[in-house]
Amino acid sequence: MESEVNGILVAAHELKAPLSLLRQLAFSLELTEDDTAARTKIQHQMIDVSDRALKQVSDLTKIARLDDGLFEMEPVAIRGVCDEVTSELRHLFRYNHKKLETSYTNHSRLVVANRELLYSVIYNFCLNAMHYSDKDSRSELTVRDYQDKVRFLVRDFGPSLPTDVWRSLKKGWVEKPTSIAMRPGSSGLGLYIASKFSQYMDANVGAIRHRDGTSFFVDLPVSKQASLFV
Amino acid sequence: MIFIIDDDQEMAECISLAIRSIKPAESIRIFSNAIAAMQVLDDEELPSLIFLDILLNGPDGFTFLNELSSYSDTAKIPVVIVSSLSLKKQQLEDYGVVGFLDKTTMTPEDIQKYV
Repeated sequence: MESEVNGILVAAHELKAPLSLLRQLAFSLELTEDDTAARTKIQHQMIDVSDRALKQVSDLTKIARLDDGLFEMEPVAIRGVCDEVTSELRHLFRYNHKKLETSYTNHSRLVVANRELLYSVIYNFCLNAMHYSDKDSRSELTVRDYQDKVRFLVRDFGPSLPTDVWRSLKKGWVEKPTSIAMRPGSSGLGLYIASKFSQYMDANVGAIRHRDGTSFFVDLPVSKQASLFV
Repeated sequence: MIFIIDDDQEMAECISLAIRSIKPAESIRIFSNAIAAMQVLDDEELPSLIFLDILLNGPDGFTFLNELSSYSDTAKIPVVIVSSLSLKKQQLEDYGVVGFLDKTTMTPEDIQKYV
């Protein structure tokens, strides 16, 4: 019960950030009455911010539905999912003066996963990397073969991971949403969501702590089905 | 010159816009973390006002306030906290903070009041 209340509190706090920002953007719209270009930019920002918040809410509702086993596992072309995520987030990275780079070297193209959940995991890791990266720095999304699995890894270049999150990850999972002492609108909830979805997909999740940042990775089983992509 | 220290670039720009709408010529610098702001404070001209978020990437707002109050010249810079955290007034006054803006309820007029 206590953990559930804590989870609700963290989720509420995380949602405060986009809602507060939307409110300020609405004020900014009023302040830019005569500037059409600025107004258009703000309108796009408002759409982006609400999209991100809605995604988070949608992910939270998916967590509640995981126990029902509604998310079927299937062969998924992981590069395609990565491309979709990066295409969606590239604009946001650019806006924040950051870069998201990709590198694919995997030979096994298909993994066993649920496409929807996999998308959310990659999306949350990339968003987390953006928040934790320094201005004008890059984040890297890498997909490569790792033993008999396919590993995707998201590396950020910024401050080291907070110790409490690091400890949770060393144990294998982020067991509960991390406290509000972490940055709002960033990794606490995102990492929790990513962990839950990875766990559901029977994937290994972990992190590597670097001197200048952190890498989060997920190892997914390779699908035996022949790839349609050459 | 006014500093805005907030790791949410979009929020920082909203604050900047509120300031510029009444003072178009005001020089404003936005920093996404405390370290970058501190480096500029060490090397360059001091700002006349700082808008500071508390939950920052890296050292938090309180660490920045501690650093600020450690030097006689920077200790005099008025600071307005901009946060969605519930903070005790006493906690902030100890650091010489002149104002607190709640991100969830503030308006452009609230921001402009300090400029």
